[in-house]
Amino acid sequence: MRIQDFDTAPLTQRQILEFTYKHSTGPVVGRFLAALKEQKQIWGQRVAGGAVVVPPLGYSEWDASTAKEWVPVADEGTVVGIARVRQPVERLHPFTEPFAYILVRLDGADTALLHVTRADWERVEIGSRVRAVWKPDGERAGSILDIAEFRLVE
Amino acid sequence: MPAFTEPPTEPIKYVDAHVWLPYDYVAGDYRAAYLRALKEKRILGSRCDRTGKVFVPPVSFSPHAFAPCSELVEVADRGTVTTFCIVNIPVIGRNLELPYVAASVALDGADISIFALIQECKPEEVRMGMRVEAVWKPDGERHGDHEDIQYFRPTGEPDAPPETYLHRL
Repeated sequence: MRIQDFDTAPLTQRQILEFTYKHSTGPVVGRFLAALKEQKQIWGQRVAGGAVVVPPLGYSEWDASTAKEWVPVADEGTVVGIARVRQPVERLHPFTEPFAYILVRLDGADTALLHVTRADWERVEIGSRVRAVWKPDGERAGSILDIAEFRLVE
Repeated sequence: MPAFTEPPTEPIKYVDAHVWLPYDYVAGDYRAAYLRALKEKRILGSRCDRTGKVFVPPVSFSPHAFAPCSELVEVADRGTVTTFCIVNIPVIGRNLELPYVAASVALDGADISIFALIQECKPEEVRMGMRVEAVWKPDGERHGDHEDIQYFRPTGEPDAPPETYLHRL
């Protein structure tokens, strides 16, 4: 028997690799997230040179020095990057309806925060002004999604 | 002025993450032929063009001789236990009563062994050289996957002498 004698039509199988885990946040991001839940306040950290880093890392990405004081920033800012997701992949993306990933430089911050806009996913542009939409009290769990999304400031 | 002077001192310690990665496994010519043959209660291997060794499941080239294996051959659905272990620890996704035996079985006509479960005997009775045969799922219930062979069971034949299987563990 040679391989040519066989029916060798393509044979495929859908497989799913799936597992859950707990991502350890660490003391810096942990406090940043706790503030989203308990204070509805977004915090950054000032680093050497004066830049305010949001979300905070605990250190400076420029010279690796330890971050200095916590600095509150606004929940409103300017869009500096957009990736529109027209056809979300089930479960691989956070939503099943079209949305856009956006990078938002919040007022008072010098770096951009990655988040999403759902309602304004088509209209958002580089330079657009957006504001956080917070989940209501009791629904915030200490996650970046305690901010449900960002929406255009009309 | 913000209402707070600093973030809460008690951090959120963990964020639950969920990894979910769907993908399409493509069997390729040899593996596709192998899987389809299982549905017909046949086990295919491939013969190395240079050494004549038979690999199960079939591979398109020999990782031993680096030569093509261009011939598909049918091997027996019975063979010899070469190595085994008795499993006493439950594994998620495998609903077998403990303890059970996971073994390597060298099928008659093959030069390497396949992984198999040994059942219908006590775990402590399993031994190297024991002769076993496949227990297939009934007709109509085989789908062309590895579960078409439910397990192997002892045939009752005399044990195979070590020189017949030690080179194909």
